Amino acid sequence: MKGFQTNERTSIIEINRKKCKGCDSCKSFCPSAAIQGKYGAIHSINSEQCIFCGQCLINCPFGSISDTVDTVDTVIHQLGNQELTVVATIAPSVRVAIGEEFGLEPGTLATGKLYGALKQAGFKIFDANFAADHTIMEEGSELIAKIRHYLLGEPAEHELGLLPQFTSCCPGWVRYVELYAPQILPNLSSAKSPLMMAGALAKTYGATQIWQVKPENMVVVGIMPCTSKKFEVSRPEFSSAAHYWQQRGSAAHYPDVDTVLTTRDLARLFEKMNIDFNRVEASTDADNPLAQYSGAGTIFGNTGGVMEAALRTAYYVITGQELPLLEYKPVRGLQGLKEADITLKDAKTGQVITLKVAVVHGIKDNLKPVLDQVIAGRSPYHFIEVMNCPGGCVNGGGQPINPMGTSWTGNWKALLPWT
Amino acid sequence: MAHYDYVEKAVTVSRREFLGMVGVAGAILWTGAYAATDLVQDRNKYIKMRAQGIYKDDVKAKVRQSHHNPGLQDMYKQFAGQPLSPLAEELFHTRYIDRTKLG
Amino acid sequence: MSHPEQELRVLKHSLRSRLFHWSLILGFLPAAITGFMLWLKPGSEEFLNISMKIHIIGAVIFTIATVVYTLFSFDRVVAFFRLIWTWDDRDIGWMLVGGGYPQKMLLGKDVVVPPMDKLNSGQKIFGICLSIGGLLLIVTGWLLYSFIPLAPKAFIYGADLVHMYFGVFLGLFMFVHIFLGIYNWSEFKSMFGNGTQLLSEVEHHNPLYAARKLEPAVHPEADEPIGAASYKTE
Repeated sequence: MKGFQTNERTSIIEINRKKCKGCDSCKSFCPSAAIQGKYGAIHSINSEQCIFCGQCLINCPFGSISDTVDTVDTVIHQLGNQELTVVATIAPSVRVAIGEEFGLEPGTLATGKLYGALKQAGFKIFDANFAADHTIMEEGSELIAKIRHYLLGEPAEHELGLLPQFTSCCPGWVRYVELYAPQILPNLSSAKSPLMMAGALAKTYGATQIWQVKPENMVVVGIMPCTSKKFEVSRPEFSSAAHYWQQRGSAAHYPDVDTVLTTRDLARLFEKMNIDFNRVEASTDADNPLAQYSGAGTIFGNTGGVMEAALRTAYYVITGQELPLLEYKPVRGLQGLKEADITLKDAKTGQVITLKVAVVHGIKDNLKPVLDQVIAGRSPYHFIEVMNCPGGCVNGGGQPINPMGTSWTGNWKALLPWT
Repeated sequence: MAHYDYVEKAVTVSRREFLGMVGVAGAILWTGAYAATDLVQDRNKYIKMRAQGIYKDDVKAKVRQSHHNPGLQDMYKQFAGQPLSPLAEELFHTRYIDRTKLG
Repeated sequence: MSHPEQELRVLKHSLRSRLFHWSLILGFLPAAITGFMLWLKPGSEEFLNISMKIHIIGAVIFTIATVVYTLFSFDRVVAFFRLIWTWDDRDIGWMLVGGGYPQKMLLGKDVVVPPMDKLNSGQKIFGICLSIGGLLLIVTGWLLYSFIPLAPKAFIYGADLVHMYFGVFLGLFMFVHIFLGIYNWSEFKSMFGNGTQLLSEVEHHNPLYAARKLEPAVHPEADEPIGAASYKTE
């Protein structure tokens, strides 16, 4: 297969030949034209072009697309092994969607129950929201360093990428850039995605300071709304923790994050372990520092959330004051491209700068104009958030499938299939 | 050229019947179109509901900015130092690959 | 009348009705055949894609023909619906002997069959199935064609289920209709020819129709059938 590194997963999403009706629904959601097969014929996915976002999967009316990576039984087995410390890293979007698998309304915030159920199953918790806050600190600091260097003319302390800076939390988006727009790789934030930061942190700081276990006896399980995360964990560069310990005399080799369960996978895991999600007692895990998170960390699951969280911190770091209105409405909602200007007065030099930001969700429909501007070198923005899935991670390819909904956020042009 | 000696008698439809049929057909079409429009308009409702759930989590959070997360502040104090420190660069940053160049 | 008694002819299918029937052959028949292909999916990608294209073109012809016929031959549509929904003891009797067809085809035996109107009870059932099912096929088919990324998945799934089951059922029923149409050769000739049939044959197959609904043609030599295509509102 072309375009893969050694040992990377090469296939995650597959179409069942027997169930496919050739309706082309998947093609209307595929951001990377990875689906082959003409209208009426049986379709198939070309993994070399696929970014594993799973939008086709959650939008297939006939349920003929599935996620072929199933590690539920492996995780159950690991949970039963007393020598292993199994850490669940729960993404923000999982807590508002897992309830749907157990008959709750979409959007029911079930953090307590989720913690309770995970504890009952034997997981330790490392909330990905903590990692999201962590991402904001790293990615935000990177952005601030670029602003100070490129806009305020200060000398750079680090090797810096280019402006506009793109977010790098979405593994589908990262793979998209690597496959289809490698010329903008320097614009991609060097910060890892929250899950990958969580993995590296869990097996270093977490192993020594929080759980006092050997990192090689840890299993970090990402509980994600995302199928592309299953690809991300297999990327060979994400073994920083093992590398860190190798420099300190250990010989073990392991990935930062061992496996990923989607929200749907987690629901199956609870069912297999006979954990009744509706009856489980809510838990807070208040004394676990890695389960502490801010409101900024949790909104990562929505389109515009990373931007909003970053602005809350960047504004503070540059101006020395808190953002007067925390709920930054211009970046919220399902509009395809959201833009905002924010004026900052640098506390150190007194210079005033206007930060222009853009939020894109739904690569398929909304990315092209923004990306073209950046490639042509005439992008007006400084910071651009991109999430592949329409609506953000809440509508990720690993989320419960809502039979009465679709990810189609565009207009009625869909009515004319020949256009 | 058609040649025939007998033909079917003309069918009579009373005004009342005609209006009735048009009425029923119209009602079916109208409700159908109405229901379809509703379904299509509500198609993203679940995304909005999940998004609202997340914004609710933000509103009720005690701390609402990443730099105020106490656990994170502890972590930087005890472990990574500060964002973009050499250790942070090593553990929390990465590089990307031009996949068009991979064989 | 200048013709001998046994050569008297009846205009059974007006030009408009025949045009409609012919467009069903052009539209519904290919759509049904390609529908089976799309259901069973034999053959290559190219073949299935062409099947889908034919299916859609057939559907366009079928839909337009149905709408046009309903608008411009409203009297025939009304007459048809009145007839297929009128059932009495004779129909039960007819159904019990199967219209005498099984006996005739398998045993070569003629049995007494209750008198029928323009359509026999079997044809009425086909008419009911085709009018309801055809409408559902048109509606669900266009939903599947144009609403796929837009409408909720459960809705599309339901539309597909209805489209498939009714399509398979009506498709198979249509082959029975074609077979019986060919078997009753004079009926076949009337539908594909000038629409007329011998009065004697009509009296044999459709005695109630012959007795109740026929009247002497006013202009027997006219090109266009008259009377049959007009209707009055009172």
